[in-house]
Amino acid sequence: MEFLSRAQVITAVAATMLVFIVLDLVRRRRLSEEYSLLWVASTVVVAVLGFSTPLLQAITHALGILYEASTVFFFGLGFATAMLLFLSVKLSRLGQDHLTLTRELAFLRLELERLRGNPPTPGQESA
Amino acid sequence: MARSDVLVIVPALDEEESLGATLDEVRTVAPWADLLVVDDGSQDRTSQVARARGVPVLRHAVNLGVGAALQSGFRYALEAGYAIGVQHDADRQHDPRDLEALVAPVRDGRCDVSIGSRYVTRTGYRAPLFRRLGMLWFAAVVHGALGQRIADTTSGFRAYGRRAMEAGLEDFPRDFPDAPLLIALGRRGFRFVEVPAQMREREAGRSFYTVGKSLYYPYKNMLASLMAMLRAHDGERRS
Repeated sequence: MEFLSRAQVITAVAATMLVFIVLDLVRRRRLSEEYSLLWVASTVVVAVLGFSTPLLQAITHALGILYEASTVFFFGLGFATAMLLFLSVKLSRLGQDHLTLTRELAFLRLELERLRGNPPTPGQESA
Repeated sequence: MARSDVLVIVPALDEEESLGATLDEVRTVAPWADLLVVDDGSQDRTSQVARARGVPVLRHAVNLGVGAALQSGFRYALEAGYAIGVQHDADRQHDPRDLEALVAPVRDGRCDVSIGSRYVTRTGYRAPLFRRLGMLWFAAVVHGALGQRIADTTSGFRAYGRRAMEAGLEDFPRDFPDAPLLIALGRRGFRFVEVPAQMREREAGRSFYTVGKSLYYPYKNMLASLMAMLRAHDGERRS
């Protein structure tokens, strides 16, 4: 296997290690399958690019990029951006869920106070 | 049970010092209205102050934002069958003596939302320069979007009819219920009326609008205003 540079070796090995770390996190239920998908996809792609010099060269040439290392970074950055956007969307959704739950709790608490006899229902409060 | 058809909704965050006086004043001046405090995750005794006066409290376990607090108040008002919900600050900035004039146009069916405005007539209110520029800007944005001039888009003293509250349950800015809310409601055909209202200086507590938020506020409100227009546009095309 012919490598173009030391950086390519480091990238390939690091990406491979990351695949195993991600899969291990899923195994230990620290990371859900849903969130692991983008991680696995990104690390596998970077690892393949790192190990397969002809493929890396072909893609680099096709995209008009000057250095092979830039191609790897290009894909890495693309996945990182996708991941951040995905997480931001999830976080917004989570914020909405959080609002709904907090509000529901507030209404339930008031209802409970009423059932316990305090405070009075509106209209009776000044009586 | 004789009950009012007007609910005064008081969103409050860490307002233990001024909330009591606000509630007492509303009760004295406007005994015809019911009260609800929405405690938006206060760290102090805000909830207890309200409960001690027999005022029902919706307490958010964590801070959700003034818009979300108001929305909780809307839901309460709708479920309890109130015809009108009034947004009223907890910090004594609003004068409850204006309540009757604020509620009247909604009750008479002249509008869906009436806004207590500092600018309709001279009320002696002077905002800091930066805030004044912001207010002018958002008044222009609302005017551009609705074709209606609303002088005080940031007023936290408003009365909402049932239909407006129902619309507010669906789509509502969580943090600053100002220009974007007016645009969202206005684009759906809700009518506004501005009523002169007094504004007083804060006595205690802190404003929902802190320094950190003053940078985020213009960005957020511009984006939310734009989205309100786009969403209304989508709604029009669908219908």
